[in-house]
Amino acid sequence: MKILIVDDFSTMRRIIKNLLRDLGFQNTAEADDGTTALPLLQSGNFDLLITDWNMPGMQGIDLLKHVRADQKLAALPVLMVTAEQKREQIVEAAQAGVNGYVVKPFTAQTLKEKLEKIFQRIEGG
Amino acid sequence: MADSKFISDENIARARDLVATMERGDETGAKDVIDDLTNIRESDLYQEMGKLTRELHDAITAFGMDEQINKLAEMEIPNARQRLRHVIEMTDQAANRTLEAVENSLPICEAMGSRSRELHTEWNRFTKRDMNLTEFVHLAKRLDGFFATNTGDADKLRDSLNNVLMAQDFQDLTSQIIKKVITLVEEVESNLVALVKLTSGKNTKTNAAQQQSSEILAGPVVPGVNDKGVVSGQDEVDDLLSSLGF
Repeated sequence: MKILIVDDFSTMRRIIKNLLRDLGFQNTAEADDGTTALPLLQSGNFDLLITDWNMPGMQGIDLLKHVRADQKLAALPVLMVTAEQKREQIVEAAQAGVNGYVVKPFTAQTLKEKLEKIFQRIEGG
Repeated sequence: MADSKFISDENIARARDLVATMERGDETGAKDVIDDLTNIRESDLYQEMGKLTRELHDAITAFGMDEQINKLAEMEIPNARQRLRHVIEMTDQAANRTLEAVENSLPICEAMGSRSRELHTEWNRFTKRDMNLTEFVHLAKRLDGFFATNTGDADKLRDSLNNVLMAQDFQDLTSQIIKKVITLVEEVESNLVALVKLTSGKNTKTNAAQQQSSEILAGPVVPGVNDKGVVSGQDEVDDLLSSLGF
């Protein structure tokens, strides 16, 4: 299980990386923006994308849209972890095909639940 | 005032003149009187405008030469930027120090836990008399090692926790810095209000204060600033999504 963590704050990436490791996911990579994440995804064989929304170069919502528009990446599960909690934004992300939406600050338990939900859905086909 | 000067004996005489010239059909004469009156009126207006222009110019000059404003623009605001950057740096450092302590501690806890589980299993065998002497000697040695390691590990964990404790020292300092920047913002605010009053001459409390921040990306929720139209907490996010069928 290879996971890409995208957030412009290195401390947040570090926190998520540690939480994932705790849940048994050791194979993680990081990117600090949508622009650097996209090429990594295209060449990388990732099984899950975890991304923030608010990033300077390319925002998470646009990264999500690019992923869904790319034939090779369209089915990639995407979990958003973000401080943005306006109704319109949550709806926009859902309509763009996000698989889970976690708002900051979040608990380890929440992250675990959302990940389990995503992987259940994958196994259920 | 110009108006009361305008209603003078001279001008009343001119007005009578105007009526007289018109009654006797003297078009040129009438136009002359009207010209006179108009000139007087215009010069009054010019004087009034000149006075206002001078007053405005003086006020703007005074405002621009106000040392406080210059100081704000040239020193305090760049300072404030610098201070806030420093806050970012400090909080970044504190977070990283803490995360490092956590990353150091977790493996220690995991190893401690798994060793303890292993030895516990062996110890249970012993208490159930399911162990021979050789095995017990071996277990005793391992227990010995375990106690020694544990003591060392406890010390390491305590050190890590102390590092976490000390890493929180940023909060006091960053708060002080941020308070200073708030004071600066208030200063800028009052100067701006004064400037707006100067140029509009009216009381300037608009609806802006009631409007919420309408940036496209609101960022983390700050109560009272951008908490309209947002959900509060993961549960509400989940409710919203499931109510839409996601």
